[in-house]
Amino acid sequence: MVKHALQRLTVAVVLRIVHAALIELRHLDSRVARELERLPDGASYAIHASASGPHLFVVWQDAHLRRVAGLSQAGCAIDIKAMPLAFSLFTGQMGLAQGYARHAFSVAGDVGDVMRLARLISLVEAYLFPKWMTRRILTDVPHTECSPLRVYARLCAGFLTGRYKLYFTETTPAP
Amino acid sequence: MMIPPYFEFQNAVKLLCGELALERIASELRHLGASRPLVLSDAVLAKIGTLSRVTQAMEAEGCPPADLFTDIPVDSSLLVVNRIAELYRSGHCDSLVAVGGGSVIDTAKGVRLVLSQQAEDILSLAGVENLCRGRHVPFLVVPTTAGTGSECTGAAVIRNDKTQVKMEFISPFVEPDVAVIDPRMTQGLPPRATASTGFDALCHAVEAATCLQANPLSTAYAHAAMELIMQNLEEATRNGSHREARFAMAVASTMAGIAFSNSMVGMVHAVGHALGGVCYVPHAVAMMILLPHVMRYNLSHAGDAYAALLPHLIGYPQAEGVPQAERAEAAISAIGQLRESLASLTGLPLTLSEAGVKEEDLERVAWVAINDGSLIVNPRSADEEQVLAVLKQAM
Repeated sequence: MVKHALQRLTVAVVLRIVHAALIELRHLDSRVARELERLPDGASYAIHASASGPHLFVVWQDAHLRRVAGLSQAGCAIDIKAMPLAFSLFTGQMGLAQGYARHAFSVAGDVGDVMRLARLISLVEAYLFPKWMTRRILTDVPHTECSPLRVYARLCAGFLTGRYKLYFTETTPAP
Repeated sequence: MMIPPYFEFQNAVKLLCGELALERIASELRHLGASRPLVLSDAVLAKIGTLSRVTQAMEAEGCPPADLFTDIPVDSSLLVVNRIAELYRSGHCDSLVAVGGGSVIDTAKGVRLVLSQQAEDILSLAGVENLCRGRHVPFLVVPTTAGTGSECTGAAVIRNDKTQVKMEFISPFVEPDVAVIDPRMTQGLPPRATASTGFDALCHAVEAATCLQANPLSTAYAHAAMELIMQNLEEATRNGSHREARFAMAVASTMAGIAFSNSMVGMVHAVGHALGGVCYVPHAVAMMILLPHVMRYNLSHAGDAYAALLPHLIGYPQAEGVPQAERAEAAISAIGQLRESLASLTGLPLTLSEAGVKEEDLERVAWVAINDGSLIVNPRSADEEQVLAVLKQAM
């Protein structure tokens, strides 16, 4: 039970870091900017880390990637089948492609939306995880357009100033 | 052989293979509790008499079609699926029988999903392993090409006309109850269609055995399918009435279907779907053009897996003589030789420009391809520029 709770907490924190990293990388990496800006307005993603685990709901709206409290129906919903799988996916032990190959999650919505998310997550992983880890989980490690330290610095600043919150109740209403 | 840390395998389709298989359809329907089947096919099969061969067999055994729908286009669409589901409901049908190639079978799978999930629009059901079982709708398929393997796959690919994208519906619940593999169904297939659809089956086997989701069971099916294809495809193309070659190809196609249903396909299919969606290149033709180009692209990441294909492509004794370091290249060459031989027998195009693709469409094709689900398990990742480079090589 303790292990499960720790995994749950870790995944909840990493989900928030992933969201924050995407926002920061939009200004630091041209590929992230391009991927995000190609999303249709109103595109929405829901990631459920197991049936009872933490989740992340994001909407691309008015050229901003907003995290929201909930979505009545996400354009693309990814349901990870069990907490240990979510833990592996979000701690650099298993890549998204490996997770797909191992049936770690199901998808409701257009598979094309998962491909967009997979490319974004790969870029986030290239910055946040050390090379030895990304080489294990990605078939090809994307090059970085700026120092990962810069990304970490901006993330730390964002969390310290309260622009991002690690543990919180979301206030942005669902669209 | 590498055994992945985790894998899944499913094939719940009952196969009726060989002589007088068509004559058993009525009995199978009765066993499934059905008596009013809606038969789906296309206009060409209706015109050349292939469809009537099936319906006559059904009538003779006491289970005539309750209704027929033969307007399924070459690239079926979400709209067609919704229309047929409506016809099924208004005609009080109780089962589906699909007679045709990949488009007809995938359309029927879509219809089955709409009916079993009691949905109004197939679009609302898109996804991967996201559906519950739903209501049982008895479903039989009779493939009329030896290539798609769709009779045994848990996936349907259906065109979204609005976005020009072929959408994927992946669920074990799209698998038919019964697949009828009767060699009479492919005997009238012209050489061009025989060659290209047979090559599509080879492509399924190659990608299934070498992509990230490959597992020991799917690989065993893929390797066996490859052997049958390499031994029989040229003969079936050259001599369409060669019964043994036709039957072997039909079985190979089904085996390759089982393989890729359980390990997915890769970049050849991702780009092929995009070429179909944007430029209307027939799927099997796209596969024939793309396979060697994509294998070369993947070589740095899938060299060992390609090397392991060689004995199944050229035979064990011949493969013995090839040094290990050269086996992957030799596998690509063997596939290239088959492709050229089939093209010289049938006049099939070997380049995208011969298939009518225009340079100005390539960027759009590359963008659609990188958003295709098949790319996620390709052994080497690919971005837009890399897909574009492969497309330019194939021009």
